[in-house]
Amino acid sequence: MKVSVVSRSGKELVKGGLDLSDSATVADLQEAIHRRTRKFYPSRQRLTLPLQPGSKEKPIVLNYKKSLEDYCHGNLDHLTVVFKDLGPQVSYRTLFFFEYLGPLILYPIFYYFPVYQYFGYKEERVILPVQTYALYYWCFHYFKRIMETFFVHRFSHATSPLSNVFRNCAYYWSFGSYIAYYVNHPLYTPVSDLQMKIGFAFGLLCQVSNFYCHLLLRNLRSPDGNGGYQIPSGFLFNIVTCANYTTEIYQWLGFNIATQTFAGYTFLVVAAAIMTNWALAKHRRLKKLFDGKDGRPKYPRRWVILPPFL
Amino acid sequence: MAGFLSLARRLYLTLYNWTVFAGWIQVLYLAVKTLRESGHEQVYNAVERPLLLAQTAAVLEIVHGLVGLVRSPISATLPQIGSRLYLTWGILWSFPQIQTHILVSSLVISWCITEIIRYSFFGMKEALGFAPSWLSWLRYSTFLLLYPTGIASEVGLIYVALPFIKASEKYCIRMPNKWNFSFDYFYGAILAIGIYVPGGPHLYSYMLRQRKKVLSKSKKE
Repeated sequence: MKVSVVSRSGKELVKGGLDLSDSATVADLQEAIHRRTRKFYPSRQRLTLPLQPGSKEKPIVLNYKKSLEDYCHGNLDHLTVVFKDLGPQVSYRTLFFFEYLGPLILYPIFYYFPVYQYFGYKEERVILPVQTYALYYWCFHYFKRIMETFFVHRFSHATSPLSNVFRNCAYYWSFGSYIAYYVNHPLYTPVSDLQMKIGFAFGLLCQVSNFYCHLLLRNLRSPDGNGGYQIPSGFLFNIVTCANYTTEIYQWLGFNIATQTFAGYTFLVVAAAIMTNWALAKHRRLKKLFDGKDGRPKYPRRWVILPPFL
Repeated sequence: MAGFLSLARRLYLTLYNWTVFAGWIQVLYLAVKTLRESGHEQVYNAVERPLLLAQTAAVLEIVHGLVGLVRSPISATLPQIGSRLYLTWGILWSFPQIQTHILVSSLVISWCITEIIRYSFFGMKEALGFAPSWLSWLRYSTFLLLYPTGIASEVGLIYVALPFIKASEKYCIRMPNKWNFSFDYFYGAILAIGIYVPGGPHLYSYMLRQRKKVLSKSKKE
């Protein structure tokens, strides 16, 4: 089979096209493109079927697991695919690791080192118990997230664009420093002892629940990462579609109840907004996928992310 | 009913654009007159009231975008109008020590010409349904010069104000407080200058693209 690879402007990417066996898969095609172009490794490639000129429809994206025949529509001699370069890619593990490493290292710097001298506070700093607990809580949280990244999570997409690393690190690292600055501040005002205990206890409970949610999600996907989408169930997933986000948001609430900083609550609101967007998208996708027709199960009625509001 | 509403919308927007246009004409007239008669030190004093009024009236443009009266998204109008309000109220009005600076003159004149062209452009469009081609040429060409002078004056004035901001401690919130929050207007001003560095070129290249789009379209017609 002859395959022509063209860019979106219609220019031929691989001179003379590629010759592949009739049983070749999309993955084989991607490998062949990589061999010829050298630069574009498979996860950088987005291959679609060409659209009629002027058509407003969304193009069909080629799935690397499928065979090329599935996209040929009868004409087995020739296939034209449109190539788009997605830019340099990194694995999700790398992305998450660098995101979480920042807060894990930056926060203790504010606790252990005399950084506040550079902000004009010359006197010796007296460390309050709540600041010590907060340090342990914070570091445990990000340590847990890094460990989960390597040993628990199974990713539906293998890679993410490299530019996301810079964007996400800027977000996590600057918010981490911003919160650490206030919680460890020499003029920090603590909340009552009872409020602190309630906050940390509630937060810890939510972190443990969050870990359990991640274990449940892991078991929805087979080890080779080819599980596709399943209906999450068990524990809090019987009530909420994205119980993993619910527990994540509530554990930050616990931290904020205990430490009470404007910076921390700002982070909570921003993080909740971002996760709500993801949760709405996932809820919509699951409802569409499991519509109860043609023998497919029907997605049960559930909260999206934050019961009893959404 | 729908016809009446669209008529009311056009009437209102025409009135709005030409009113603000008149405001900026007044600012320009006063600025030029003062500059010639008594020197740049007096410019701010002469234009203060109409300048603050005309610039603050631009808040309505954000409202127009929010309620759907105009199509421009608030993600585009908010930073532009926000930076203008920050400069008029947050810098010029708040720190009288810099009101006599020469950059105030270049700032006010750059703003005036840009706004006079912009509001008359939109005023024509709302009133007549189209703007004469020379006006849209002006709208999409004068920025080539006026954006650099305007933005340079804005950044320059924030920079000139920095020592006064630091000394006055105006608009600062200090620790300790119950919500463990602090705000330093001085660092806020430095951050503002930092945003201009990528923001200025970004806006300029956006306008260059718009210019290409609009002017090539009008040539075809």
